[in-house]
Amino acid sequence: MNSVSPSAAQYIGGVMQEELVESRRQQPMERQSSFGLRPPQTQDLSKEAPGEPDEMDKLKAKLMSAWNNVKYGWTVKSKTSFNKISPVTVLGHSYLLNSEDEVERFRLAFVSRIWLTYRREFPQLEGSTWTTDCGWGCMLRSGQMLLAQGLLVHLMPRDWTWPDAQQLTDVDFEVFRPRSPVRAGGVPIPSFGSPRGPNTPEKSLPNDQGPKCSQKKRSECVRDRQAEPIHYKLVTWFGDQPPAPFGVHQLVDIGKSSGKKAGDWYGPSIVAHILRKAVAKTSMVHNLAVYVAQDCTVYKEDVVRLCDVSLNKTPPDPSSQAWKSVIILVPVRLGGEALNPSYIECVKNILKLECCIGIIGGKPKHSLFFIGFQDEQLLYLDPHYCQAVVDVTQVNFSLESFHCSSPKKMPFNRMDPSCTIGFYAKNKKDFESLCSAVSVALSSSKEKYPIFTFVEGQGQDYGLEGHSSNHSGPAAHILPPGQRSRSNDRRNSDEFVFL
Amino acid sequence: MPPFDKVPPQNKPFKQRKSLATRKQEVAGIRSKFPNKIPVIIERYEREKFLPPLDKTKFLVPHELTMTQFVTIIRNRMALLPTQAFYLLINKSGLTSMSLTMAQVYKDHQDEDGFLYMTYASQEMFGH
Repeated sequence: MNSVSPSAAQYIGGVMQEELVESRRQQPMERQSSFGLRPPQTQDLSKEAPGEPDEMDKLKAKLMSAWNNVKYGWTVKSKTSFNKISPVTVLGHSYLLNSEDEVERFRLAFVSRIWLTYRREFPQLEGSTWTTDCGWGCMLRSGQMLLAQGLLVHLMPRDWTWPDAQQLTDVDFEVFRPRSPVRAGGVPIPSFGSPRGPNTPEKSLPNDQGPKCSQKKRSECVRDRQAEPIHYKLVTWFGDQPPAPFGVHQLVDIGKSSGKKAGDWYGPSIVAHILRKAVAKTSMVHNLAVYVAQDCTVYKEDVVRLCDVSLNKTPPDPSSQAWKSVIILVPVRLGGEALNPSYIECVKNILKLECCIGIIGGKPKHSLFFIGFQDEQLLYLDPHYCQAVVDVTQVNFSLESFHCSSPKKMPFNRMDPSCTIGFYAKNKKDFESLCSAVSVALSSSKEKYPIFTFVEGQGQDYGLEGHSSNHSGPAAHILPPGQRSRSNDRRNSDEFVFL
Repeated sequence: MPPFDKVPPQNKPFKQRKSLATRKQEVAGIRSKFPNKIPVIIERYEREKFLPPLDKTKFLVPHELTMTQFVTIIRNRMALLPTQAFYLLINKSGLTSMSLTMAQVYKDHQDEDGFLYMTYASQEMFGH
């Protein structure tokens, strides 16, 4: 876990001190943005207290954001241990960490994911005084990471890894642990010069490749290096600036139509819809659509209609082969108060699928982006780390803060039941195999029924559309909430409703 | 979030309001009158903060109604938008397949008192 509760802070005095200095340093910036450059929309804020200039609220917000910047601005360095007996799964790939080579593959797989965290000192969010998302935006960040993963698969070469991926930190691999107990704690970072352990099978890979390429074919290294401009461009789309199509400014703005505003907490289902709208809105990303399942059902015909470009043309052109790639998002609730343990196996099987691009969820109230697991622990990327904003409009800005070098794990039983599962299909054939592969994974649940289902046909065939467009008035003989006029007494509400 | 310690008696879960014997009797009575309907209890998840309360908890549902249709009816009753998260949990923990009929769900999950218990909930929010 990256964040620490305030009460824990006092035990690690030194670090705290440093961060306080840092938060003090940034205050002039904030003052300038909240008082100097007041946007014209500020009156929207005072809707709830008409006539009162809510300087108090602003002060409160500023104090909160200063505190959050401190709270999430540092981490407790706790090591994450990985055993060498059970494979670690990262988005459809498994790594048995019993050799240096496998650890290296795991490192590349983990560090190459795009990591999006809280940021501070970004341009003020329209209609608010917020210049940071520390303390409220974690679900949006998780959602960004899920979309970023989808875009990586969509745009980058197959099994692309970042040539400049950092070394792992705060990890403990059994394979590197010395036999003698003298040096307990393990060697955290795999070093390439170190001699291979006696159990490590010799690899037939040529040895003349640079260290960064040691696990990949030379041609792939060249290919991955050539893809760097796309990698850069992809990260700029998530920049913390109003024009960035998937930046926090844009996502918060889109969320307003769902009744959310800057500073609010978001849920995995709302974020799924925000992502769908953001992708539909931008002209930057071509040939990609996002489908969000409703009521745990993916209507295959609805996906086809979204993807099949020929159907959307007027007149329809059946000769056209054009097919949009699709990100399928399925918001679910895997239990009431806690995760229903019978779904764990199924979540694991989903994360083993190559078409899975991750799960946005978290611990209760604390959002995380799940990308894999080992044994009974989920592997995640944590947005709860407040970093200074990076100006992605600069040429060759640093990508380092957009990739995470310390993998973290948490037990499955602490997973919040609310989450959104993401999948990606490049083309029609991919979509077909996605449907069958996911259906197999879903049937592995110990619960009698799957988490969600794929259904032929369209939602409207099942009477969904007709009903949902009719939300202004409830069906006959059914009273809407709040209009209980004659049915208010106990006896009446105890009667059966006939459907 | 307000504390939930003091729940008014009429807001207590249905099972706590009535004894098992009373509930069994109630099911027997309604089943004899309407043998082709299934008695279902729908209650709001106790910590639900976004979805409105339902004005009724007891429903008599035709056997052949699918879960999709049933969910649609409840969604309409609450005037929810199609994009709003809404989940029906059977016995507070499991989801059901939307293509199942009420008869199938009832067969697998009816309570010892003869009712089928469902809880509705949206999703949790995350923020720190």
